[in-house]
Amino acid sequence: MSFNEKSVLANFKLVKAPIYSHCFSADRTLLAITCENKCLVYRLQGATSPPSLVATLENHDKTVTAVDISAHGRIVTCSQDRNAYVWEPLSDGSYRPTLVLLRINRAATSVSWAPSGYKFAVGSSARIIAVCYYEQENNWWVSKHIKKPIKSTINCISWHSNGVLLAAGGTDGYMRVFSGFIKGLDSKDAVVNSPWGDKFPFGSLVREWYQGSYVHDVKWNSSQERIGFVAHDGSLNVVDSQGNHQTVDAPEGLPYRSLAWINNNSILCAGYSCHPVLFSEANGAWKFAKNLDKVSDANAKKSTVSLDGNDDEEENNAFGMSALKKFKELDLKGRVSTAVQHSAHENAIVELKAFQESNGQVVQVSSCGLDGEIVLYNV
Amino acid sequence: MEDWRRIDIDAFDPESGRLTAADLIPPNQAQVTLQELQPKIQQIRSMSTSGDMISAIQLATSDPPYGADDSTKAQYLQAVLEALGQTRQADISNIIKQLSPKQHDVLIKYLYKGMSVPEGQKQGGILLSWFEKLTQEAGVNPVVHYLSDRRTV
Amino acid sequence: MSQSLRPYLTAVRYSLEAALTLSNFSSQEVERHNRPEIEVGNTSAELLLQPMHVSRNENEQVLIETSVNSVRVNIKVKQADEIEQILVHKFTRFLEQRAESFHILRRTPIAGYSISFLITNKHTETMKTSKLVDFIIEFMEEVDKEISEMKLFLNARARFVAEAYLGEFVY
Repeated sequence: MSFNEKSVLANFKLVKAPIYSHCFSADRTLLAITCENKCLVYRLQGATSPPSLVATLENHDKTVTAVDISAHGRIVTCSQDRNAYVWEPLSDGSYRPTLVLLRINRAATSVSWAPSGYKFAVGSSARIIAVCYYEQENNWWVSKHIKKPIKSTINCISWHSNGVLLAAGGTDGYMRVFSGFIKGLDSKDAVVNSPWGDKFPFGSLVREWYQGSYVHDVKWNSSQERIGFVAHDGSLNVVDSQGNHQTVDAPEGLPYRSLAWINNNSILCAGYSCHPVLFSEANGAWKFAKNLDKVSDANAKKSTVSLDGNDDEEENNAFGMSALKKFKELDLKGRVSTAVQHSAHENAIVELKAFQESNGQVVQVSSCGLDGEIVLYNV
Repeated sequence: MEDWRRIDIDAFDPESGRLTAADLIPPNQAQVTLQELQPKIQQIRSMSTSGDMISAIQLATSDPPYGADDSTKAQYLQAVLEALGQTRQADISNIIKQLSPKQHDVLIKYLYKGMSVPEGQKQGGILLSWFEKLTQEAGVNPVVHYLSDRRTV
Repeated sequence: MSQSLRPYLTAVRYSLEAALTLSNFSSQEVERHNRPEIEVGNTSAELLLQPMHVSRNENEQVLIETSVNSVRVNIKVKQADEIEQILVHKFTRFLEQRAESFHILRRTPIAGYSISFLITNKHTETMKTSKLVDFIIEFMEEVDKEISEMKLFLNARARFVAEAYLGEFVY
């Protein structure tokens, strides 16, 4: 499959557990992934050799749900045990943890550093977004809460590049934009002439959009003042400050879990169909552009449901029996047939991140999946 | 009260922020009464008895009464089920091809709803062939939409 | 496969495919718990999605109940007469007693159905979704065959026993 080889740059099978979140350091040398109740830090060694494990961050006692690395190399992890830690890199390559005073009583689900690297936001199942920053006097990370009008678990958060506006989506079916303005940390100059409003006191609701289904991921495009988000009804949505709302459906139907802006007019999405899909904007409307790393139809799993009513005899063999056939083969010959092709990810992709940019365009994207793999794609 | 231990105290906390089924109904939904809907039901019935199945299904799947009460919805469902049941097997794929994706989403709601009530289960075979033809045309899309859509028929 | 079984299984396959889009979701009701939301008396309505009812006739139905992190699949197996009722009950009971070796099998079916499966995000993370769907479809295909074979076998046996027993009285 020549197309396959072209779009997949590297494929690392790192762990035997789902990776819910991953992040590269700013210089793209370090990779942090979540693995059960740990966070593993790897050093990249090129596209061909597997990354080497340099540190294991284990302080959490429940599943780690998200990880992010700041511009200064600090790692923040959050977990279903209701805690978040900031991991300060030390000169010997190890990390020193500092507990964050989140003050939430349910799981933390998502975390994201503000572009400045001096504060971050944590979404939680407690129907709260905690915006955390470092307090010099007490020498710890403290948080301020955004509560209203969040009605359910927050799934995803994204900062505007000005470090003030914060977009969040959750299981209550709303995508909302809040202000995460911290006095003494942010300056009002960052939001001068913002199309989103004049005043941004902390925690104020700037805008909200009703989608009705779970919002899985949200990403700002700061230069255009637009926001993209994907929802459980299989849609990709793009909204702006003027109230425009454009929607496009997944061509294969299954919902997306993540999206990444490639440039001002294209977005890459990925989710339960296990391969990324590129959407692009032309004449003010978003359209499906192409599939990356998609297994050709003849080999895809759907082939077991060829729906032609006439050839009943053939149906009989093909329908639902492929698993049986495979196991029989496995049983009789002791091997799995090698003819089965699959995309780089064998299970759902849960997160996409921009890996490399050139001329304002993302050219490489990294992804992590439930199959424990990290994949780099050429766009 | 005897079983005071079982009282869910969080439910009395206005700050609990829980969502109930009623909260999920999308905002700005128009209320429809049976009187307002009766002409449309009649129209669907007369179209399907006169054999104009395409128009009947087209009409039935556009602007369904989301904001009506349960008994009104049940009457509308009856009319839709009759129309679906009177269509000849061979015409189904043709009709589905002429529906918009939005109408597909509505149609699948009536198929699932129909299969959950005894009247529809009696004609399960015909509803299933509608389902099969619909997924041939639109794939898994309408099913995914159905799952998350809070507007029920 | 008979002509009317195929659309039935197709409908179940598409419904399952759409339903098995689960995520790891920690309880927002109880601290530090992660439980299948479809199984707990749920106080957050938004976590449950629309139920999907697929029925071939009154006696053969599948109800797929979906939530954010778990799916319950309830199957009503065809039971035409009393013998089949007994056979289905014995058969599903046999399987349910060994539920842990089936991973996704529920120990008791919900009211009105013969057998229930409970698929959580743990299962979709460790197994391939398409294989899970195949398994359930294959189960539905096989169970009818199995029951009718058992019925034939039972009848043949009963006839043989009756002949042997009553043969004593023939002279």
